[in-house]
Amino acid sequence: MAERDTDVSIDDDDGLLSAGESPALIERQQQEAQRRLGFNPALILGLWGAAYLFGFGAIFLTYPTAVPLRLPGAVAGVLIGVLFAATTVISIVTGVRSGRGLRGPSRAAGAMYGWSWTLGFCALAAVNIGVTRLGLPDDAVTLLWSGSSLLLVGVLYLAAGALFQDRFQYGLGVWMLVSGACSVYAGVPGNFAAVSLAGGGGLLLAAGYFALRHPHLQTAA
Amino acid sequence: MSVTGSVPGSMPELLPELDPVIHAQARLRVTVALAALPAEDQITFPRLQQLLEMSAGNLSTHLRKLEEANYVQLTKTHQRRTPVTYVSLTRAGRRALEDYTAALRLLLTPQADKSVQPDQPGG
Repeated sequence: MAERDTDVSIDDDDGLLSAGESPALIERQQQEAQRRLGFNPALILGLWGAAYLFGFGAIFLTYPTAVPLRLPGAVAGVLIGVLFAATTVISIVTGVRSGRGLRGPSRAAGAMYGWSWTLGFCALAAVNIGVTRLGLPDDAVTLLWSGSSLLLVGVLYLAAGALFQDRFQYGLGVWMLVSGACSVYAGVPGNFAAVSLAGGGGLLLAAGYFALRHPHLQTAA
Repeated sequence: MSVTGSVPGSMPELLPELDPVIHAQARLRVTVALAALPAEDQITFPRLQQLLEMSAGNLSTHLRKLEEANYVQLTKTHQRRTPVTYVSLTRAGRRALEDYTAALRLLLTPQADKSVQPDQPGG
């Protein structure tokens, strides 16, 4: 190969490096840095996808439907509660850990984006509980929650797409908006099937995409 | 782009000069890792150390050399009374890495051409 001609080595206290070795070293270090510093949403998307699929799937199965399986309400309630609590904790821990030891404009943007999930869902709960107190039929309460939750999730993925310049996450946001709107028109218990299959399924597909996609970060080379 | 044969024992034909500050395994790794951060972002010394799997002493030595060349900026600050050092690549450092990779490309690409085309233009 070109080894002989590229023998531009510098005797350093770190050892010799020939020009021929440099490109591979750069490539390796870039991938390592991207893997360790870049935030890959695959894990969080996958966990939320599973939580939606199984949690809302379980709620759907508490109703008399064409599916020959019936779950007691308590079982489904505990299942979805545990799934959502665990996934929320893991999401927050993962998000905070990814920014450990970093500061600067992109870190601030990431932290603001992370907080918008918390703030958004707190406000959504306040609005929905406030409206519910005025007296709504049970089905309306159910549809209000499933529709508004997916709407907020959709909008936050639109924001992620804009913030991280990622068309795929923007597309996921559109998909969640459509799923949320359709869930309301599906009625009860069809809305639970819509949130479980379209919402959870969409998140799981997105997780698969991010797991396979090569992580991209800005690099100098 | 400076093209000289200043490295002892190098070929007599024109070779791009590789920046000796970056052209060392450890400092190249440090520079590439810092360049992976978005511009103007900073990383703490411990997280950088963890990322590169280098000893603290080793990393300090190389960061000092990079700082002397004005390629990295070290910012000392306090967080809850604990001293913290943030490291970031300067604009000059980012530029130096770009120049280095460009010089590498120049240095490595003509070699392949030469084997099939001994009559180099300008050689």
